[in-house]
Amino acid sequence: MAAIEPSGGNIQLKLEAEEAQILRGLATEMKELIEQEATIEDAVIDRLFPSAYADPKDAQAFSELVGDELKSAKLDAIRSVLSVLGEPGGVDMTVPRSEIDGWLTVLTDIRLALGTRFEVTEEKMETELDASDPDASGMALLHWLGWMQEMFISAITEGGDDGSAQAG
Amino acid sequence: MPSTSRRVSRAVLRLETTVAPGRIEEITTDEESKEDRPWLVIVWNDPINLMSYVTWVFQKLFGYSLAKATKLMLEVHNDGRSVVSSGSREKAELDCFRLHAHGLWATITKSD
Repeated sequence: MAAIEPSGGNIQLKLEAEEAQILRGLATEMKELIEQEATIEDAVIDRLFPSAYADPKDAQAFSELVGDELKSAKLDAIRSVLSVLGEPGGVDMTVPRSEIDGWLTVLTDIRLALGTRFEVTEEKMETELDASDPDASGMALLHWLGWMQEMFISAITEGGDDGSAQAG
Repeated sequence: MPSTSRRVSRAVLRLETTVAPGRIEEITTDEESKEDRPWLVIVWNDPINLMSYVTWVFQKLFGYSLAKATKLMLEVHNDGRSVVSSGSREKAELDCFRLHAHGLWATITKSD
């Protein structure tokens, strides 16, 4: 069972082998998708690299200005997470404060990708999971990653030592 | 927009993506300030990002208090959108870039 606990400004992260494997797989897929950003038409890419202006010419200019920077920022964060997830097996590690923001953006991008694929709405997010729904496992994953993100945020915003939590 | 100003912005983005808003204004050209009208950065509601995450991003990027960041987050959530920052076009573009880097759906529009 995953555990995320604040630890002196850092985070103590424990993941079972299966959980680490799921996260490693998702982060790897994310990396591969973002690497193809310039060459594919994809709803997830549209969400991760949104149009900044209503005017297509302005939007294009903005994209040319910052697109590469945005892509490398996202890829750097994913590589950093993948490097600490390391080899197959569980994880029991300290995520230093300096790397927590990167973890949060990676968890965000993965959740945005899953949510976009499953065409999530607010109603769907709030609905109890129904095992017969073909999207149920994906939705469970989305909520699990949301729980992780919530724990990371409470660890850095509350800054206390008592925000620990467990979930599976 | 003058190309010199764009080049400056690009260089700053390379150096430091978490540069404080306002730093860009110090180095924008006079030419641009003359034609400048406030540009608004709008964040749109999405069903996926957590409310706590969106609030944290507003605090981190703009230095807003928890109260202000929460108010803006609730505007996004309840009204579908909120203006989260404004200023020169350069500043708006930098803010929008930083919001995109954090997975928020942000756009820029001219205030008139």
